[in-house]
Amino acid sequence: MAEIETQAAPLGVLINNAGFHEDALLANMQQDQWSRVLDANLNAVFHGCQAVLPGMMRQRQGRVVNIASLSAISSPAGQTNYAAAKAGVIGLTQSLAKESARMGITVNAICPGYIEGGLPADWTPEHLKALKMQLPMRRFARPEEIAAAVFFLASPDASYITGSTLKIDGGLL
Amino acid sequence: MPTRQRLKELMISELMLDMTADEIGDDTPLFGPAGIGLDSVDALQLVVMIEKHFGFKMADQDQAKRILHSVNTIAEAVDQKAAA
Repeated sequence: MAEIETQAAPLGVLINNAGFHEDALLANMQQDQWSRVLDANLNAVFHGCQAVLPGMMRQRQGRVVNIASLSAISSPAGQTNYAAAKAGVIGLTQSLAKESARMGITVNAICPGYIEGGLPADWTPEHLKALKMQLPMRRFARPEEIAAAVFFLASPDASYITGSTLKIDGGLL
Repeated sequence: MPTRQRLKELMISELMLDMTADEIGDDTPLFGPAGIGLDSVDALQLVVMIEKHFGFKMADQDQAKRILHSVNTIAEAVDQKAAA
């Protein structure tokens, strides 16, 4: 972190986007399936925030956008690990927002629904077609439709928005 | 500017306090209901503020607790360090 900040400018925006899911029913879930998903989706957000916060505090300015998931709210079967991790991201977001509001730092979360190109590779075209039929817009989100919200939350226009969770799911939930 | 006055003005701007420097007594406790009523978030900000503007780094939480008692205790610690 120190190396990045001395070689480039201090970090002004952190987007915690990395994540993956590894679905299994809890009855069958291995301890390492639980741990890997919690590490990647929740613990990584903690470490990312902790790394950038001192610099943002010194600048008294910063933007954190955490990519949670619709699963944090809908909690589907087979995702006890992922749903718990992503719900944890929302909790972290709200708590950290309160801790850092006075320092000019905002912390928000986004819960995307189904995204084009982001769906499991083993889902068949028939399955995707059937899934789309159930969506209010009958289509998946384009990645840029999520990116636009990230961009907005990271912009000066969003200066009074903090601790918020924005669901972007085309009206699914 | 004298350290105490500078501290009060920095506190007002950095902690977004809706008060004037005159309203902060040198000996008024910064934390708790009997004092100005700052909270743990303010404490963290004060530590960063004092390091940034006065080059004074708290050694540990116990020291921070002692020093952050009032404007007087902060000023004494900062001035002592500057004189050393």
